[in-house]
Amino acid sequence: MGLALIVLIAAPLVAGLSSLGVRTRRSMEGLQCAHAVVLLAAMSVVVMNVAEGSVITVGILLRADALSAFMDLMLAFVGATGLLYALGYMGEEVIRGHVLHRRYKRFFCLFNLYLFAMLLAANVDNIAMMWIAIEGSTLSAALLIGFEKTKAALEAGWKYIILSFVGIALALFGTVLVYYASEHVLGVSMEALRWEELYRVASDLNPTALKLAFVFVLIGYGTKAGVAPMHTWLPDAHGEAPTPVSAMLSGLMLNLALYAVLRFKSIVDRTVGVDFTGPILLVLGLLSITIAAIFLLVQRDYKRLFAYSSIEHVGIALVGFGVGGPIGIFGGLFHMLNHALAKSTAFYAAGMVLLRRGHKAIERVTGLVRQMPLVGGSMMLATLALAGMPPFGLFVSEVLIATEAYGQRPWVAYVFLCLLAVAFATLLYQVSRMAMGEPVEEDIPVTDRTRRFTTSALVANLAAMGYAGTHMPGFLRDLFIPMTRFFGVIVEIP
Amino acid sequence: MIESALIILSQAVAALLVSPFIVGLIRKVKARLQCRRGAGVLQPYYDLLKLFRKDVVVSTNTSWIFTATPYILFASTLTASLLVPIFLSKVPINFAGDVIAVVYLLALGTFFLILAGLDAGSAFGGMGSSREAIVASLTEPAMILSIFAVGLTAGSTNLSTIVHKTALLQDIVTDPPPHLMAFVALFIVTLAETGRVPVDNPATHLELTMIHEAMVLEYSGRYLALVEWASALKLLLFLTLLSNIFAPWGIATEAEPSWMALGVLVWLAKVSGLAVVIGVIESMFAKLRLFRVTDLLGVAFILSLLAVVFFYILRV
Amino acid sequence: MGAIHPDIASQMVDLCAALLLLTCFAIIAQRRLSACVDLFALQSAFLAVTAALVAFLTGIHHIYIAALLTVIIKVIVIPRILKKVIERLNVTRELVLNVNIPPSLLICGALVILAFYITQPIISLGFLLTKDSLAIALAIVLIGFFTMIARKKAVTQVVGFLVMENGLFLGATAAAYGMPLIVELGVFFDVLVAGLIIGIFTHRLQDTFDSVDTSKLTELKE
Repeated sequence: MGLALIVLIAAPLVAGLSSLGVRTRRSMEGLQCAHAVVLLAAMSVVVMNVAEGSVITVGILLRADALSAFMDLMLAFVGATGLLYALGYMGEEVIRGHVLHRRYKRFFCLFNLYLFAMLLAANVDNIAMMWIAIEGSTLSAALLIGFEKTKAALEAGWKYIILSFVGIALALFGTVLVYYASEHVLGVSMEALRWEELYRVASDLNPTALKLAFVFVLIGYGTKAGVAPMHTWLPDAHGEAPTPVSAMLSGLMLNLALYAVLRFKSIVDRTVGVDFTGPILLVLGLLSITIAAIFLLVQRDYKRLFAYSSIEHVGIALVGFGVGGPIGIFGGLFHMLNHALAKSTAFYAAGMVLLRRGHKAIERVTGLVRQMPLVGGSMMLATLALAGMPPFGLFVSEVLIATEAYGQRPWVAYVFLCLLAVAFATLLYQVSRMAMGEPVEEDIPVTDRTRRFTTSALVANLAAMGYAGTHMPGFLRDLFIPMTRFFGVIVEIP
Repeated sequence: MIESALIILSQAVAALLVSPFIVGLIRKVKARLQCRRGAGVLQPYYDLLKLFRKDVVVSTNTSWIFTATPYILFASTLTASLLVPIFLSKVPINFAGDVIAVVYLLALGTFFLILAGLDAGSAFGGMGSSREAIVASLTEPAMILSIFAVGLTAGSTNLSTIVHKTALLQDIVTDPPPHLMAFVALFIVTLAETGRVPVDNPATHLELTMIHEAMVLEYSGRYLALVEWASALKLLLFLTLLSNIFAPWGIATEAEPSWMALGVLVWLAKVSGLAVVIGVIESMFAKLRLFRVTDLLGVAFILSLLAVVFFYILRV
Repeated sequence: MGAIHPDIASQMVDLCAALLLLTCFAIIAQRRLSACVDLFALQSAFLAVTAALVAFLTGIHHIYIAALLTVIIKVIVIPRILKKVIERLNVTRELVLNVNIPPSLLICGALVILAFYITQPIISLGFLLTKDSLAIALAIVLIGFFTMIARKKAVTQVVGFLVMENGLFLGATAAAYGMPLIVELGVFFDVLVAGLIIGIFTHRLQDTFDSVDTSKLTELKE
């Protein structure tokens, strides 16, 4: 079992380093496909084992409990489809001559290292190592965002660097404060940094230090998650990065940052009680949704549109966690999973549109469903999911969160639903303008080879989206129950 | 009684005799760093002697202020230096004034010098006076606050008390951060008040760069000698403040001749060391443009302000 | 460690921390970019001395390694990289600041007081050796953050970020007695790579925009 976890984490590292030595596109495609398969296989083993109730540990370094396994599920699945999609997208860019082979290799190396860092962060049993891994993912993401050397991409990359590095530094300060507090109980050693030990002695830790630490951690990792008011890097980064990178950022990086916040929340909740973290998360969540809803209205670039939608969904998840209670926590977690699937699908489709139309302006794109049925259809479906329509999972989580909010403070639920309605309308309006109607522009053809990869990625994602929304597979339920227990609530899921 | 008088006298003599040496030492250090041999360390003494023997030339447009200022300046600076512990921590006339008295005695001298610069009616003098006024107004709060910061730890603004208590390490609160900040602030103030690079170049006579030199441009003969001696005395006073307030160990805490002799030697070593440091700094940096001087003095002010605030915060 | 009175030991560490804070103010008061980088190198040197002092006084030997790494990476390597960047970019000073020097000095003073105020409740938790270091560490982090906001040139923003990292290292070392060695190594590695990436980006910024004045990055608006 430990081996599966090691394989899961090591696979992207190995693949990343090997991709530097690859000579042809065909061998790169083979490498990455194998990589994707290994990821999925290892992830399934890990998830199945943890769902049965055990916690996988490898020495004192790695630890996969329910929350980590949940993250692994997301990371591995979306990562695998992302790899396929990236093969198609970047392959097309190479064929068109936008990207040299040397940079193609570098792209995949960075992409893989990015996945490696994220998987490591989700599974490591050490608050400081988690920080190092998240910083590693920030560094690789920075290079990926500025990959296309245009002015806009550089500006986006620079903004990302400045904001993320500052956020990361503040998060490190929070981490040091937690270590400071735990040293008194656990002594000056590696043990004082382990999640497992922290969970054990949570009630003995100094409350003031932990409250202060949580604020810093929230600001720091919140910047990485795109929580308002630290979100300003997000639309630029998502808009200017190569589309596979945007998909990974929205789908995985934001969730990973939320994971980090959640981990700290679960410790702080045990020390100071739920009433400290709840209201803070609630306020920031509502603020994020508000800002996102406002800016969604004025977007003219469809990648930025989806980026603001990501901010909105991160806000929704935060509201769920802030409201708390069994349903709130479950709602938030379920939302994270479904958002990862739906958003990556939306970005895959958007990337195809970019490849085939050559620009990112919403008003110039029409008739997607007619011209590229699969792409247009999947974009429409993903948007319906993101807007919160049934039968997709995002609907379920939003309803649950609203219900729990209503039970605690009704006005929160009203505001929440109003904002969601605004976002719903805007998103649907903008995307249906693109998807429906008659195609006006010329279609730039895409090679079959590319199409094979991107189509398979899209289809896999769509299937997962539909499945996760309508069914609750056994292993997922078995993960959710222990996860909610982290936050001090027990939940029964039918 | 006699003893106090003797101590006061010897303190005055020491201050007067050593101050030209300090100026000479700084000039020597600068010369060496510029790879020249430079004039001897005793050159300022010869300059003073020469100036006393020369005739005085006074412009007919000046008033009594012009002729009175050198004496006022000299007297106030000498009195101020009598209030500062040099080789004995409890100076006999410390009842007469504390740090505020020192600051305002020096300010009195500066005030008259500014007036004298304006008095002759020349353009250089007026320009130098206005610049000196800016610098003086900015250094004053920083200087007071930085000494206050140390005074807070000793519980008094009386310089003798501060030095005495710090030397004996009795009854005081020791805290590195505020002291360090106050030291740096006072050091910057020293450079500003005594007209050293980077605030003012003491060796220049270019219209663009003079501050202190511009004010004394009209003086000659014994007036010039007194003014130059007074500024050397001021430099020595600041260096003594820097060394004896922040690191007074070695100073005599009782009026015994052997201790006092040791105190004199230790003091000589400290101020010479500081003079060398100033010489090095003068060689390292370029003179700041006038509107950048406010930035530098702003730093000094903030540091001294923080030093005072720290004292209260750290007590909480 | 027993040879030195604990009070004096704590004061020595405090003195070093105060020197660090002083260099922060010096950086904020600077307009010349190369002077900022030099001051940063000086600050890192003081930081290494502080770390070595803590290692000597507590007997935790792996902090020596952290101190050595600080010297190598932050005193030698990174300032060199930054100096090269400055040379290539041919910018020497900031002429227009977002916040002018006297107000920014006042704000930094206020930040120091704020930092002390925030950390008051938990200073009592501290080990006897280092009481104020956590507060000074937070103050340095905040001042570094402010430097990033108050300046326009990319290089100064980078120096601000590195100053933040210095503050964090001070906090981890002096207040928390240093994290386990492997963690310190990881953090150093991250900082080094971050510095390199920033160097790369600054280079690209210069090539594309012909300046490293970040106020020119205004294309992406809403």
